[in-house]
Formats: sequence, structure tokens, C-alpha cells
Amino acid sequence: MKNIFTLITLISLVSVQGQDVFGTLSGRVSDTSGNPLPYANVVIEGLNLGVLTDDSGFYTIDKVPFGRHTLAVSFIGYGKRSTTVDLGEEARTVKIDFTLQENVENLDEVTVNGKSHKTELETKGFAVNAITTKEASLRNIQTNELLNTTVGVKIRQNGGLGSEVQYSLNGLSGRSVSIFIDGIPISIYGSSFNLNSIPPSMIKNIEVYKGVVPGHLSSDAVGGAINIVLHKGAENNLNASLSYGSFNTLQTHLNATYRMEKSGFTVKASAFHNYSDNDYKISGRTIVDIAPNGVETPIVARRFYDAYRSTGGMAQVGYTDVKWADQFLVGVTASDEYKEVQHGTFVTKLPYKGRFLESDALLGNLTYRKKDLFVKGLELNINGVYGKRNRIVNDTVAQAYSWTGERRIGFDGEYLDYIWDSQNENGPTLAKIERKVSSVRSGLSYAINDNHKILVNHVFSGIDREDSDEMISLLENTFQQTSDLYKNIISLSYELNAFEDKLKLNAFAKHYLQKVLNTQPVFNEDNTEVIDEVYNSKVDYTGYGFATSYTLVPTVTLLASAEKAIRLPSENEVFGDAGDNLLPNLGIKPETSDNLNIGFRLGKFNINKHGLTLGANFFARNIENRIGLPANADALRDSDEFVQYTNLENTAESKGIEGEFDYSYGNNLGFNFNITRMSLTTVNSGIETDVPNVPLFTMNASLRYSLHDFIQAKSQLNLFYNAYYTDEFSYKFSAGTNTAGEEEFLIPEQIAHDFGLSYTFPKKNFVLSFDVKNIFDQAVYDNLSVQKPGRAFYLKLNYTINNF
Amino acid sequence: MKRPLFNLKSYATALFAIGLMTACSSDDNSVTPEPEQEEEQGNEEEAADSRWITVAGAKMGENPGDGNGGTLIYSVTSEEAKDPTVQIDPFNNGFVAPSNRTARLQASEDGNTIFNISYAGDTGGNYTKYLVNGGNDFEPTGSEISIAPYVGTAPRWIKLFDGDKTGAAVYVSTEHQVDDNDTPKDVTDDNYLYTNSTIGVVTLDLVDSQINNFQEHVITLSEEESAAGYYISRIDMPVLNEAGDKLYIGARVSKVDPETLESDSDFEILGSKTIVLDYPSLLNPTIITSTVGHGNTNGYRSINAFLYDGSVYQANQGDPEGSHILKIGSDNQYDDSYVFNLDDALGVEGAYILAWRPAGNGKGVLAYRHDGSEEGISGRGQSFFALVDLNAKTATKIDDIPYEVDFELFQYQGFAVDGNEIYLTQAPVGKDGNIYIVDTETGEVTKGAQLINAEGSHFIGTW
Repeated sequence: MKNIFTLITLISLVSVQGQDVFGTLSGRVSDTSGNPLPYANVVIEGLNLGVLTDDSGFYTIDKVPFGRHTLAVSFIGYGKRSTTVDLGEEARTVKIDFTLQENVENLDEVTVNGKSHKTELETKGFAVNAITTKEASLRNIQTNELLNTTVGVKIRQNGGLGSEVQYSLNGLSGRSVSIFIDGIPISIYGSSFNLNSIPPSMIKNIEVYKGVVPGHLSSDAVGGAINIVLHKGAENNLNASLSYGSFNTLQTHLNATYRMEKSGFTVKASAFHNYSDNDYKISGRTIVDIAPNGVETPIVARRFYDAYRSTGGMAQVGYTDVKWADQFLVGVTASDEYKEVQHGTFVTKLPYKGRFLESDALLGNLTYRKKDLFVKGLELNINGVYGKRNRIVNDTVAQAYSWTGERRIGFDGEYLDYIWDSQNENGPTLAKIERKVSSVRSGLSYAINDNHKILVNHVFSGIDREDSDEMISLLENTFQQTSDLYKNIISLSYELNAFEDKLKLNAFAKHYLQKVLNTQPVFNEDNTEVIDEVYNSKVDYTGYGFATSYTLVPTVTLLASAEKAIRLPSENEVFGDAGDNLLPNLGIKPETSDNLNIGFRLGKFNINKHGLTLGANFFARNIENRIGLPANADALRDSDEFVQYTNLENTAESKGIEGEFDYSYGNNLGFNFNITRMSLTTVNSGIETDVPNVPLFTMNASLRYSLHDFIQAKSQLNLFYNAYYTDEFSYKFSAGTNTAGEEEFLIPEQIAHDFGLSYTFPKKNFVLSFDVKNIFDQAVYDNLSVQKPGRAFYLKLNYTINNF
Repeated sequence: MKRPLFNLKSYATALFAIGLMTACSSDDNSVTPEPEQEEEQGNEEEAADSRWITVAGAKMGENPGDGNGGTLIYSVTSEEAKDPTVQIDPFNNGFVAPSNRTARLQASEDGNTIFNISYAGDTGGNYTKYLVNGGNDFEPTGSEISIAPYVGTAPRWIKLFDGDKTGAAVYVSTEHQVDDNDTPKDVTDDNYLYTNSTIGVVTLDLVDSQINNFQEHVITLSEEESAAGYYISRIDMPVLNEAGDKLYIGARVSKVDPETLESDSDFEILGSKTIVLDYPSLLNPTIITSTVGHGNTNGYRSINAFLYDGSVYQANQGDPEGSHILKIGSDNQYDDSYVFNLDDALGVEGAYILAWRPAGNGKGVLAYRHDGSEEGISGRGQSFFALVDLNAKTATKIDDIPYEVDFELFQYQGFAVDGNEIYLTQAPVGKDGNIYIVDTETGEVTKGAQLINAEGSHFIGTW
């Protein structure tokens, strides 16, 4: 199809006629997300003068005769737009940029469907969701909230902004899910640069791979992967936003890119700052004031020690779209975070005041990307990060506080200090963890022709960790063992496109190599020196999988993918931990999981202005060789004996269905609904039981309505409405069928509603957004019944300038 | 989307999503205890000799026999408990004791009230009291109180034998003391001094649901022992002496390597130790040491020390010569002339007392395993019951109870005592069993109600 267009354009160009006085028209064509549209057709109507845009969406038409012209831009599957332009002495060169909307267009009575990046990714065969951040970035929405509305994804957050987050994909969470930033494991960046702190406006899109993960994102996660793709664009722009709202929550962000057109020299910078007191109200069975004699009074409390602050940024310089590189950037990422801890895993009757976490990271990065390197079809991608990150847990305050926020009075009538001398019952700590981290991801792909492509990818990540605690003696610190972890994952993929793009196949094999170095300091023979005894363990494993899709008719695509995924044992599981009475188990095997997805995608159906898309996915996971502690571990530990991690005999199984439905009416109305329903069971000696603390049934709905020329001409008003539903679930195994007292462990059914609006001012530079979250002030929980914020209001101002 | 996976509820909730929604507000997930009712002492009109027998089962968590899936309780009358045609199925019909991990239950002496302090989790440290109404009907009574501010959310507690008036909960934390020779950066001249144990003790009024007293102390073992790295790492199982003026608390002694401060696992076991406090002031801690028994006196889940005939009899665990029952005399010192070794009495090697309970006549039932026990499904040794006599210092395996390799008494906690009779639960892990009633005076064993088990689960006693 592309070739036909080239031909048409070439023919048009041949028939250019000479004139005496000429001007130049140039500009850029992009889609609504700002992505360049290469090979778009730009013509001056009536003159048979036209060109195609280049790889970056730029076009230039020279030798345009003076006068009034109609310039029209079209791209297959996108709309057509035209504008009139006057060329003359005063305006010899005119720059006009176009933004095309992906939709269905009747061109010469033939309906042609275009595919956005999102659609293209979602029809490759993987069980993947591509989340675009365009709309969310203008609103008062955090990245985690955006992910939570995605089908099959459940965010489990332990409270308000900045609190600990667990990501669950089809019910598998924790170490089963890997998160990447541009393909680099997020663990490299640490907690100060993560999805809690990175604003959606820094992100181009988020890819969520469930169960089956393509070769270039390899990691040893059995549940899937989430990849955050940061903005790559090299167009000049500046974008800033400021959001303020309930609980003294401030979120600011600045993003700027500048590229010198001639040399290709590019500077990119982004920075963010977030702060929240998180002092929202909570109540419930553990929110009580306890009198000195133990008698309790239930209260509604405001969280009083839960503030969060994160500041960070990223700066890169280099060259983009030059002959020798599509991208060559070196830069630095720096971030810093402070988080007060109001309570432990559970909300107990003993709130904390004085325990806080600090973390910071400083990392250098390097990116190189080049298509058609040396030969056509060969593409090289290198992305590396190296740096240091630190984390401090500070808990040295013994003073006891009540949920009223006041100091607790003890039995003797004096202020009470906890017997354990700290807020957490494990005793005072000033633990510092220093990590030197590095990760390099490289990929080489070769497209033999339009139908066959081979990809080789390699990911290395290394963590060199050192722990110390000022609250314990140097002697104890010295003899703490430390572990360094190095992972290499190599993957080989083959991509096939056959039968006129109807059949797509991606088959891959991954080889995992893990090396753990365990350092145990010991005294030398005459106790004059401490020497390190180093042990190491190597584990390797090969996994494989495939993803395929078949387009029956343009509106019906079938998708299937499967992978034998693994999780390598962690350093604790291999080497144990003397402090925790854990013995090493050098022979421990990796956890494996057989993952399967089968789905279909229907649409987009267009009936007049109605657009309809429907998708569904069935998934199954079967985890074997689960790593855990043996049956009698608790008893052994209780009696100071040693235990070790082993591969458990019982398996865990997850099965379910997820569905998504999209409806649009023209450009004004959009409705999305998704649903996930699954079972997650573990088989214990023949009995199947639900794994506790996993919501098994969730639904999300969102409605958008756009009004043009509201109040002011050329302005746009968007109205949003979202609803979230989570079914009741238990955080403990349910005991029996007819038992009493189970309600103690139930997390009730939850429904929350959000409302938002954003107003784009006529000049398009300013966007003002207002959001109300949890309109009906429902008690909502994500994790182990830790209550999340109630009703909250936020206001946000966005400012953008392009092409300065 | 597949239809069959949807039920009516799904349709209803799907409807909401399409826009026809109404705000729903039902979040009454808190259990509000019933307002103070008539005291449990005011005996309801029960049949003359009848008593509630509450049976507890520990459900499997990850692995057979681990008991981490929660504790379920179910009550029957003593007549029903003695009737072999009655079936008791707590795993399907019981009441889930509100504790994140295995609950440590206590019952009033008459069996009409169950006391619980939940262990760990969001309600850890909560004291609750239930009236036993039969079946799975356990009715909250009295106000809920929390002892967590004093002894944390995972307290170890026990009911004292003072007529169901008082409970005692304990806490310990340890800290290693090191002399850095004024060179904080140089580790080679650092010397380990000793390890401190900070203990906290709470006594609570079980009747009026309030705290009676709280004290904390720092205790250290003798100079020689502590310099070698020995310290008290866990305390549990408080018991009152006959005069009611001293509280004995069982202790476990651990050891670190004084060179590196890493835990030692293979060391010489010291004589069994007990902490003695003034009661009810909880002041003046002293440590007494036995020369007869070696090993720990803090027990596991079940009460480990009992008052009988003016003295306290205490079991020990982890004794290299096999468990002993030790005697603390009315002078509040170990009576080292009293030697009751279970290895000798039972004729086995490495006897380990899991739980025990004497009746008022000085004769009782003891659950044990030994080095020769065969390993069962849960990886622990097979357990047995024995009849013991504190005066005669004899122990005899009870042969009228059927044993098999998967029968184990891990986490065994409760022995309901009714006069001279003691009620036992007998069921191998994951298999059905029975209640057995032992007449401690005659040694006669009666087979009682049938216990319906669940896969991987086990029974942990009667109250």
C-alpha cells in the first residue's frame, strides 16, 4: 500500500511545473499523541505538487508558486486535513504542522483501517495492553492509578501517595511481576524513581505483558512484565504542570526537549516534585484510642505521620536523527525520596510516629539506537544504566502514640515509651543499604525481508549490596554476610509475517544465567584482621515461548501465546540468612510456570459514527517448584533451630477471563468497560483452596465526553467519569464451608467513583483540569484492609509550547 | 466475553458499570462485641454434671500439619463428647478464632467461657472473651481490650490458675553489648560483653476486661554465663505459686558466638531456668536454675507448668537427657531432690514433652515424642500420650489410644479437665479420629465422639 502511495506522489512530482516566484512550505505531521507519521502524503491541491513525510514526519515542499494554496495532508487510515496558506514576499517560507487523528476515512469509496501503535502492539499475539498516557497526563492522575484501570492489572497500594505498591497481573504479584523503565529493570533505580514518583506526562506509554513476555524484555518473572516507555520524541517542546489538592498534595512536573535542526544536537530534561501529607481520615476496628488500662474507644482518626516527598529528574544530551544514529544520548537520572511510615503491613492499634524511610539514587545512562545500521534491516539498540542507590530505614523513637495523634499514657500515668524502644516492634534501627547497580540492555535485530525478522537480545543486571546498621555494634555489622547478584538473560526471537500480514508469529527462547556471590566476613587466625570468605552459586535455565495472531477478516483477530516462564531463586533462598536462622540451599531449583493466553479482538466496527471494539482473553498459569519454607519451619524457628528454603511440592494455579469493550461516538463520546474474573488456587494434598488476599473479580468503567467551543471558540471541554469495582475477598484462607467467624478476615466489596474535567484553552497552550476522586467517600482498600484516601479534590494546570 | 462465567451478581454489577449506579454503603465489617451481659459465672441451667467441651482444630496452611490455616473451635456437651456416635466437624462447621496465626486459647475452669488474645496481624494483642453457647456459637462478651502497647501485637499469654481471674502476657527483646575500646572504627579490638534481655509483663483482669499491672525489667544471666554468650531469648508460660505472692516465668536460653555475635546452634545446654517475680507487683526479678534438668522451660503453645500440692511442676524441652518434669518448691527455688526424667520413666531415648496436664489428684496426661519416633507426613515425629503420676514419678504410654505414624501432637494446647477426667483429641494429620476420655485415677480410657478431620489438618485439644 505504501508503495502505491509513493508511486502516486512520484507521479505528482514529475508533473511539477515551473513558475517565476517561489516559496517553501514545510512542517511536521504527527498523530494525536505527538508521534511522527512517516510517509504521509502532503499535496498542494490543484498544483499536482506533493511529497511524502520523512521518518520523523517532516516535509518540505520547495518551489511553491506565490499565491493562495490549499495544502492537504492525508495518511492511510488517518483523517485528511487541509488548510489554506498565502505565499508571498512577506511569507516566503511557511511552516505548517498537522496533527492527524486515527480514524476511518472514506477515500475513493474504499474504507481503509489504520493501526495506531497501540492497536499494532495489541494485535501481535501477546496478551498485552498498551496504555497511552496522553489523556491522563493532563489530569490529576498518578501513573499507578492509570495502571489500575487496565484490564487484568490490579494495583495493591498500602495507603496514599507514595506508599508501597504491589503489582498483580492476572493474580500473580510480588516477585512474579517484573517492571521495567525503557527495558531496564526498575529495581536498578530504586524506590525513589518508580511508578509512585514518575508522572504520566514523562511516560509515552505503558506496555503490560501478561504471562508471556517478548524476548527484548526478558526477566525471570513468572507473572509477566510492565514496561514504562518514556518519551523518545526529538521535537522541540516544553511542558509543565502543577497540581494541588486534598491532603496538601502537590505534584509538579517539567519536561523539555530541544533539538538543533541542522546538527541534530538534542537536549532533553525532565524533573518532578511530589509532596503529600496523606492525612486522610480512616476508621475501622483497629482505629481506637486505648486507655492505660487497655480499654478501647473507637474513633475516626486522621493519619498523622504519613507524609511523602519525592524529587527527581533526568537530563540527557546527544544527537538524534543524525546519519550515524537515530538516537545517541548520555545523561543522568537523580532522585530522592522521603516517606513517613504510619504503620506496618497491617493497620494495627499502634500507629507509628518517627519511623521513616529515605532513599536516593544517582545513575548515569546511555542510549544508542540506529535503524538500518550498515545494511538495510539491521537495527541496533543499546541502553545502559550505572550508578548507586541508597536506602535508609530510620526508627529510633520509643515514644508511643495513639491514633488520636497524642502521646500514649502508660499504666503508671506517665507517657509511655515502647519496651521495644522503637515504633516497629522489631527494635530500633538505622539500617542503611548501599547498592551499586548496573544494567545494560542490548538488542540487535535483522529484518531479512518484510516477512522474516530475527532478534537477539541481552539484558545484564548486577546489584552489589552492602548493609549496615548504626544501631548495632560494629562487631555485628562486620560479620553480617552480604550477597551480590548478577543476572544475564539472552534471548533469541524470530518474527514471521505471512499471508499478507494476516499471520504474525513471534517465537522465542530465553537463557537465564544467575550468579550470586555471598561474602562472609571472618577473623583471620590471630584476630588482627577481618577477611572475606566468598562463596558463589550459579544457576542457569532455558525457557521458551511464542505469541501468534491471525487476522481472519480485518475486524476479527485471534491471538494466542504461551511461555514456560521461570523465577530464579533469590540470594536469601540460595544462601540463607544466619540472622534469620536460614540455612543455605545451594541445590534449590528455579520456580517454573506454564503460562497460556488465548484471546480474540473484534473491531473496530464502524456504523455511521458509532465505533465498537471488543476483546477477550482467557488465561491459565500453572506454577511448579514453588520456593518456600517447609512445613515445620515455624516450630523450628520458634525453638531457634535452622530452616532452609526448598521447592514445595504443591502447585499454584490461576485461570480466568478478562474482557474489554470500547465504544465511541464520533470524537465526542468514548466509553470503556473492562472486567477480570479468575480463580487462583493452590493444591494442597488434593484440596484446592483460593489463595488469600487476591481480589478475584474486578471491573472498571470509564466515560469521556468532549464538548467543543465551550464558552470560548476553539476551546475544548472533556468530561470524565470512572467507576471501579472490586469484589469481596478474604485475606486469609477460608477454613470451611459452614464455618462461623470468617467475616473477621473479609475485605468488603468496594465501589469507587471518580469524576474529572479538563478544559483546553483556545490557544491549546493551557489545559486546566479538575478531578474529584472517590466522590461518595467510600471506604476502599487495596491490601490487607489498609484503608485508602476518601473523597479528594485536585486542580491541575498544564502548559505546553511546541516548536519554539 | 464468555457468558457461562457470569452469575446473576455479575450481571447486576455489570449493569452498574454501564451507568445505572447508586452509591452503595455497606462497610460494617467490624465486630462489635455485645454489651456486657450477665456474668459467665452465673451458671445457666445446665444438666447437673454437664460441661461444655470445646474442641479445637488447626487447619493446614501451606503444608500438611503446619496448622497455619487458622484455628477452628466447636463445642459439644460432655455427654456428647463421650458418645462415640456423635460426629464433630470443626473444619466445616466451626468458629474461626480471630487470630492471624494460630490462636492461643484459654478456657474458664468450668468450660463456659473462652478467652483469646490474638497473635500477630491487625488485631494482634486484642483480648476477647466469648460465652460458649454450643456448636459454633461463641458470643462475644465484655469489652475488647488491647495489651499491644505494652507487650506488642504478638504476645505470649496464659491464664493463671486463680479462679479465672487473671491472665498474664509476656514480652522479651534482647540487645548485645559490645565494648569497642573507644575505637568505633576498628573492629579487631572490640569485645563482646554480654546480652541484655528486656522483659515486659502484663497482668490482666479477665473478668472486668482491663489491665491490672505492667512492669518491665532488664535481666542478664550470671557473669560467667553471659560472658560466654548465653542469654534469655524467649519467655513464656507464667504460673503463680501456692501463696500467690510469686509469678514464675519459663525461659529459653540461647547463645551467640562471642567472637562474631552470630547465633550458635551447637552449644552446651545450661541448667533449666525460670524467672521469678513478686506478685502482684511484678517487681524484683530473680533467676533460678535447676541442676536436674537442662533445656528450656518456656514451652510451646500449651501451659507448661502447674501448681499441685503446694509446689509448681514444670516440664522442660530440648533437654539433652530427655525432658524432665521439674519441681519448684514453696521456697520458690528448684527442688533438685525431685528427679522425674521421662526417658527413664518411659524407657525411651530423647523424650520431648509437647504438652501436659495434671488433674487435681497429681495424675495427668502427657503428650510426647522421642528420638525413636517415626517421621510422619508433616516431617515431625510420631507422638504418643502417657499417663503420669507426679508423686510416684511414673509415666506409662497409654496403649488404649490408637497410634499411627501421622499422629502428632504439634501445637497441642488444651486438655479439658473435669474432676479426675481429662479429655483428649486423637486424630492423625488429615485423618478422622476420636475424643478419648482418660480417668487419671484408674487409668481407664473411654472412646468418645468421632472427630471429622480435613486434609492436612490436625486437632490441638479440648477446653
